[in-house]
Amino acid sequence: MSSQADPKAREQAAFEPRIVALVCTWCTYAGADLAGTSRLRYAPNVRIVKVPCTGRIDPLFVLKAFEGGADGVLVSGCHPGDCHYTSGNYHARRRWAIFRRLLEVTGIDERRLFFSWVSAAEGQKFADLVNDIAEKVRAAGPFERTNPARRRP
Amino acid sequence: MNALETLRADAARLLREGRAKVVIGYRTRGKERAPVFITDASGAGSLVYDAACRQNLAAYLRKPEVRARRPAAVVASPPVMRSLVLLAAESQIGEGDVVVLAVGPPGEGGGEGVYHGALTLAETARLLKEKYALLAPRPEVLDRIKSLAAMSAEERAAFWSEALAKCTRCYACRAACPACYCTVCIVEKNVPQWISTAARPHGNYAWNLIRAFHAAGRCTGCEACEAACPQGIPLMLLNVLVAEEAAEAFGIKAGYDLDAEPLIGSWSADDEEDFIR
Amino acid sequence: MKIVDVDKLSDLAAALAAKGYRIVAPVRDGDVVRLKQWKRGDEIDLDAFTVNSVKDFLMPASEVIGRYALDGDDFAPEAVAAEAPKTVVLGVRPCDAAALAVLDAVFNWDYADAFYNARRAATTIAALACRQADEQCFCTSVGGAPDSTAGADAILRPADGGKRFIVETLSEKGEALVAAAGEVVQEGEAAADAVAEVPVRFDAAALAARLAENFESPLWQTLSLACLGCGACAYACPTCHCFDIQDEGTRRESVRLRNWDSCGFGLFTQHAGGHNPRPDQAARWRQRVMHKFLYFAERFGRLACSGCGRCARLCPAHVSMAESCAALMAARKAAKR
Repeated sequence: MSSQADPKAREQAAFEPRIVALVCTWCTYAGADLAGTSRLRYAPNVRIVKVPCTGRIDPLFVLKAFEGGADGVLVSGCHPGDCHYTSGNYHARRRWAIFRRLLEVTGIDERRLFFSWVSAAEGQKFADLVNDIAEKVRAAGPFERTNPARRRP
Repeated sequence: MNALETLRADAARLLREGRAKVVIGYRTRGKERAPVFITDASGAGSLVYDAACRQNLAAYLRKPEVRARRPAAVVASPPVMRSLVLLAAESQIGEGDVVVLAVGPPGEGGGEGVYHGALTLAETARLLKEKYALLAPRPEVLDRIKSLAAMSAEERAAFWSEALAKCTRCYACRAACPACYCTVCIVEKNVPQWISTAARPHGNYAWNLIRAFHAAGRCTGCEACEAACPQGIPLMLLNVLVAEEAAEAFGIKAGYDLDAEPLIGSWSADDEEDFIR
Repeated sequence: MKIVDVDKLSDLAAALAAKGYRIVAPVRDGDVVRLKQWKRGDEIDLDAFTVNSVKDFLMPASEVIGRYALDGDDFAPEAVAAEAPKTVVLGVRPCDAAALAVLDAVFNWDYADAFYNARRAATTIAALACRQADEQCFCTSVGGAPDSTAGADAILRPADGGKRFIVETLSEKGEALVAAAGEVVQEGEAAADAVAEVPVRFDAAALAARLAENFESPLWQTLSLACLGCGACAYACPTCHCFDIQDEGTRRESVRLRNWDSCGFGLFTQHAGGHNPRPDQAARWRQRVMHKFLYFAERFGRLACSGCGRCARLCPAHVSMAESCAALMAARKAAKR
């Protein structure tokens, strides 16, 4: 029996992950911009949400993305020491270390939640990162049915 | 005089001498222990302390009616002592606002109980470091967290979906917790409404996770939240998980140091980042 | 008389399920016993006090009452019907059954609530007379009794030392239930067991007058000092019915929800302008007691409390409605002397 006849395999093959990226303005967003202007090709599955600084990212933003149906979330900002606001990313790093544990123990783990430092000069890194994340989330499959945070009216 | 008699005598004396305007302790009510607010020395005889005392009395220090009666003497077991030190570290109470009637954990002292005296916050912090530095979560809780870690992500999601489906959003957990003293809670903010107030899966998930996050580095393991939950939700699994992470990754254990920096509000250049690409 | 053996309870449930009833019964769930949808294999525990009441199945904690599709400026409401499957709630204590009259009155007062009424009409209440009470029970103080049939469609009376139940039908729904049960309910003889003794703790009629005179009493401060302002009591209470309407959605679709609310919450009466007419827990506790024992009685001719005691059992701060009422009565007596 061909794998295409199996409904689950078909669903998997047709699955285009929806990934939300919460990125800081000064580094990662600029890096993503550079990827674009450099005409680097990368997976179209990422919806970018621009915030001034990763320090602005409340864990609720991550929850909201999953609540709204994201299959994966990327959170990315300036490398430590390079934050445009000096220490916003240090605050963020602490928060992420704790919050990812809560998400992990409740079923949202490293197959769906990603953190990175991408600078304004790292267009290639951004493209490679998105490609890799898209593949990982694609492999993890649609999150719709097993997502504990999902809002289902 | 045994420990309980000494505690009662101290409580009466504090009230008589005006060194406390109210003594907050536990009294017997049938099979349970209810909170009691004693304002006259003659009432001190109703004070009791044993394993059935599950409320964290430090939670009352956020009530304006109680704050109006400072100095308040509070009967405090080690987790409650830690809560009082935490509240002081977070500038919610100051030396002179409370007298800590420090008792050992139930069962210490061969069943008779141990009473350490009427202490200041500084003395309480010292006592905690000297005698109760190694307070650990219950083994059953740690075991359950280990077995959760061994499950697949889907199994974990299913476990919590079932556990949190019972949540009715009564906020008894929040009410019972001394670390939850915000006058307007995040769930009560509605411009915008970040967390759904409905007792539905997404709202319950968000509420319980965010509450555990807001208690990160601040939970003193009193278990009052889990005791308060009318539905029997295993809240300590989330709280202990985060407390263990705070201790292992950042060396922070809430309620031992009056000058402690908050876990989430502070940072170090050396904080771990092996999970960040 | 009709009887059913206690060890045939699961068979009774199964027989009713086979006839299309959704079965709700007190089921052990970890450390608590909860009224929940029963399935084969669940252990029915009729002796325990459940953490929730029948209210959960008539006025759920969160209910969809409206759905809207949105498309730019276009707004299309969709009809929403209450989910009201044919249900039997087995083992309802008489206090919970009597409490239904309060919900019936409120949801058919100035407006007939289609959602509540649909569920109510589809639900058969099979009450269970109480052989045991605990210190928190006070049904007899509010005009109830451990074997009252008020609000019930049928009642199971423990008999022969708890080995069986005498089944008494009280309405058409009750008769339909027994008919659907088939052979599990048999004809026979049994001797009803003694019913629980529930001492009267206060005089509810006198309390109403006492409350009217004591609005400004400092006793409210003392009685409410332990209260931490959560919603555990209101949500567990079979008569409490306050709700909050919330709209949730995206730019494309939205639902309107009716969620439970509690007068114990600090923000319950918060005005948009910043004023709060019940600014402290004393005012909120006073309102809670007076609503149940005075205002509701004035408006509907019955108390909004059935003496089930759940509030006191579940309160994280061990506040007790009955204790407050008794204290109010005692205080006035003291003042008179």
